[in-house]
Amino acid sequence: MLRNVQSKLRPILGPNSPALSQAFYHKKVIDHYENPRNVGSLDKKKTSVGTGLVGAPACGDVMKLQIEVDANGKIVDAKFKTFGCGSAIASSSLATEWVKGKNINEAGEIKNSDIAKELSLPPVKLHCSMLAEDAIKAALKDYKTKNEKEAVRN
Amino acid sequence: MFSRSSLFNEIKYQSQNSNRYLSSGNEQLSDLKYGKVSDVTLDSLAEAFELLDFQSNEFPEYDVEYANGVLTVKFGHAHGTYVINKQSPNKQIWLSSPLSGPKRYDFLDNRWIYKHDSSCLHDLLSKEISEILKRPVSFGDCDYT
Repeated sequence: MLRNVQSKLRPILGPNSPALSQAFYHKKVIDHYENPRNVGSLDKKKTSVGTGLVGAPACGDVMKLQIEVDANGKIVDAKFKTFGCGSAIASSSLATEWVKGKNINEAGEIKNSDIAKELSLPPVKLHCSMLAEDAIKAALKDYKTKNEKEAVRN
Repeated sequence: MFSRSSLFNEIKYQSQNSNRYLSSGNEQLSDLKYGKVSDVTLDSLAEAFELLDFQSNEFPEYDVEYANGVLTVKFGHAHGTYVINKQSPNKQIWLSSPLSGPKRYDFLDNRWIYKHDSSCLHDLLSKEISEILKRPVSFGDCDYT
């Protein structure tokens, strides 16, 4: 994708072309994009798993984020699948890293601005970090809804 | 990297009411009307930002750029950059603010409204640009406010 363009243009423009450097993804985005953490799925039928699915199919970004929570409310595993731009993939990859090990209340406090700052997202890409925050919130909500139902049943 | 169709099929089965991105409030807004209204809105905002009154030494890096449905307003390093753009597939206008982050606006009752708190795009811009310029600025005379 972008890095192909970059490698093609570099010989022409030189390695430090300021005009082009603005268009590049930050190295942290590239890292998550090339080595995404926690890609995959958890069994959404399990009561201990919360699934968040957000995005707009019409405009192309869809993000699925799942969490697995233990009996103490601690998130022991997280997985994601994202169809979208490099920033959307990096934001969701980072989100799974951050929620792991947190309890569900702490995870709900992760803000899009923290994700954007960590990845140095440019203004136009802040929406991607918001999608990741929404995905975490949706997964937590799904987990809570499931477990309230379960509590009523018992 | 991932199969587009499998994720998209999955999302179809989600409860659509809980998903704010699958906006349902704008179904009565035709593509044609959305196109016209959003163009007029952004044209009018671009003009207002170009006519914004301040001493040139206050914001030496100030820059307004409007192309292909994307309005970019740079206040310089200390204050950051606003991006306001058309998002045609959802019939929305998206805002990225250096002060308050990202928001998605729907066209409701002839204004651009953020559904979470019913706030209006132009009110937010008036408030934030007033903060940056340290004097009252209003976008209330723009179209669709």
